[in-house]
Amino acid sequence: MASSKPSGDLRGADLDLAARIKSGETGAFESLYGQHAGRLYNLVSRMAGSSADADDLLQDVFLLAYRKIGSYRGDASLGTWLYRLAMNHCLDVLRSRQARMGQVTESMDEPDAVPVATPAPTLTTVNRIDLERAIESLPPACRAAFLLHDVEGFGHNEVGDILGVSEGTSKSQVHKARLRIRAHLGSRA
Amino acid sequence: MNCHEFPLAECVDGTLSPADERAADRHLEGCPACRALVADLRTVRAAAFTLDRRQPPADLLNRIQSRLTSEPAPRGRLLAWPNTRGAWSVWLAAAAALVLATLIGVMPLSRSAVDTTETEPAPALDGTALVDSVEADLQAAEAHYDRAIQGLEQIARTDSGELDPQVAAVLQKNLQVVDQAIDESRAALKTQPASSRAQDGLFEAMRTKVALLQQTVELINEMRKGNQAEAGRLMQNLSR
Repeated sequence: MASSKPSGDLRGADLDLAARIKSGETGAFESLYGQHAGRLYNLVSRMAGSSADADDLLQDVFLLAYRKIGSYRGDASLGTWLYRLAMNHCLDVLRSRQARMGQVTESMDEPDAVPVATPAPTLTTVNRIDLERAIESLPPACRAAFLLHDVEGFGHNEVGDILGVSEGTSKSQVHKARLRIRAHLGSRA
Repeated sequence: MNCHEFPLAECVDGTLSPADERAADRHLEGCPACRALVADLRTVRAAAFTLDRRQPPADLLNRIQSRLTSEPAPRGRLLAWPNTRGAWSVWLAAAAALVLATLIGVMPLSRSAVDTTETEPAPALDGTALVDSVEADLQAAEAHYDRAIQGLEQIARTDSGELDPQVAAVLQKNLQVVDQAIDESRAALKTQPASSRAQDGLFEAMRTKVALLQQTVELINEMRKGNQAEAGRLMQNLSR
């Protein structure tokens, strides 16, 4: 799990890597990619919903990172900084896609509209394909918080840091996502 | 504790204090609905954490690297930097010319825009006079835009620090789109000279062109100041 506030050593290493990328040092960008691409791909592919879109999104994220590396100041770990870039980009893409399709987009900070927890489903086992589909059906902001917390294992403070929302909003979005997924899985049982 | 007070999310996350956890457990013992719900949400959470780890395709890094070859260095030049005192003066002259041309170009548009909102009745114009007036304003504005663009292009050709090809291409494309909108609006105005909608469309397209040129000027100025962050932001705007 990446920490949002890097320790002294980590901050030094992150700043050093950022400086080496800026100076065009051979292998520096590859090092950044090697450290973070796997986890970022895991995240963006589930945000995107298709592997072709995921490839494009990850490519965009690393191109953005390259262009913006000069603005990295070491306030957060390089991993958190990259996740922030990635999630902002994913949410922008998904929201513009929704807007083109005429769907209403939700806000990260919308008043909490937690689905009513009905007692219906009792999940003993969860089929992974069904779970993937349930995640895909979540609204983008809700999906982002759920993926970061429950799939990637970030803490709510880190999720809030990455998504630019409060810890409380992260908690409420994740909870909302779990309830929606439960309802989705229950309807398929 | 009743079901509405039950700290469901914290219970599933396991973040309750020992005292709250004991209270929650007491509620769960007597409430099968909450017990089932907590069990389900914990199942969802556990299943999510064990989902397959997806890996990017092996050639993705190569694809990104090939894209990077056409990128300017991250802290390097978005626009090529002038490297001599003479080159700087040419760039500054270009910026100044664009500002001037833009301001002059805006004037007739602003005047026309004000005319439509004035409370005092404007002197009556017959249809022909109105068309002539609009045409004259537009031709004057167009002439200034053209001169500014030509000047910038000439400088880009003669100065060693010519516009980054990608930036120039995007700018050119955006200008073509705006020019097309201007042509279409002008055609609409010719068939309906008194149509305020057609006039608005034309002025809007012209204002867009002004904004585009202003952003170009701003970009040049930020590059001159060495403000990479702001120049990058303007670059992104121009690239849209």
